[in-house]
Amino acid sequence: MIVVNTETVPGYRVVKVLGLVQGNTVRAKHLGRDIGAGLKNLVGGEIKSYTELLTEARREATERMMAQAQQLGANAILGVRFATSAVMAGAAELYVYGTAVSVEPGA
Amino acid sequence: MDLMWLQVLVPLGVVGLLLLLGAVVGGSRERAHLADLDRRERAVAHMLVTGLRRVPGTAAAAPTPKLLTGEAAIGADYLKTFVAGLRKLVGGEVRSYRKMLARARREATLRVVEAAAREGYDAVYALRLESSDIGGNALSGQGMPMAVILAYGTACRRAGPAQVPPQA
Repeated sequence: MIVVNTETVPGYRVVKVLGLVQGNTVRAKHLGRDIGAGLKNLVGGEIKSYTELLTEARREATERMMAQAQQLGANAILGVRFATSAVMAGAAELYVYGTAVSVEPGA
Repeated sequence: MDLMWLQVLVPLGVVGLLLLLGAVVGGSRERAHLADLDRRERAVAHMLVTGLRRVPGTAAAAPTPKLLTGEAAIGADYLKTFVAGLRKLVGGEVRSYRKMLARARREATLRVVEAAAREGYDAVYALRLESSDIGGNALSGQGMPMAVILAYGTACRRAGPAQVPPQA
């Protein structure tokens, strides 16, 4: 499946617009990660466990969105956007949405 | 009497040590990161990076355009947090956090651009940067201050001959 956040796919044309698809996930960090991050907050620098948490969340949400697009019979998702929201301290929601379409090669 | 002084001096000493740790270790880690960013940005200088949602002209269809993402969570050191706390008393620009956010954005953007370069693309369109907070009220003083940035964009191949790094 082609997934892009542009309005068109270069080299392809849209033959059918199928509708909005979305995926979300709420992820919490675990205590061990929090302790490590607390230490990092003394000396600064990248907090890898949080970076990884986001990477996992993004992958999960995107997979859910792609599964929805697949059900609609789409072969591409255009104009993808990510949004985050804080549900509670220590957890974050990652939301992804885009437009499922059918594309075929050709400008 | 002596005990009373201890109760004041010990916490002050701890704060002083943590400030020193932030200044020395945090400062050197920041400088190392900035130098690393400079070096890596030069290595992908041949890449076209834009925020345009429409790809102007005709880009090549191969390789197939693809959404790429990059994340970066950069924590503040103790000195930065302390200075920001002081700044809150008088108001104004919190420079230490501004620099931290700028670093996180550069890092997240670079991860997208580097991934695009690795996979044989030479352009990133519709680059978007989103700030996210997983520290729990981060930057508000209650949680752990950190800059958490999501970057994403669509990797494409430009029309014409593929752009390659200067040394390759």
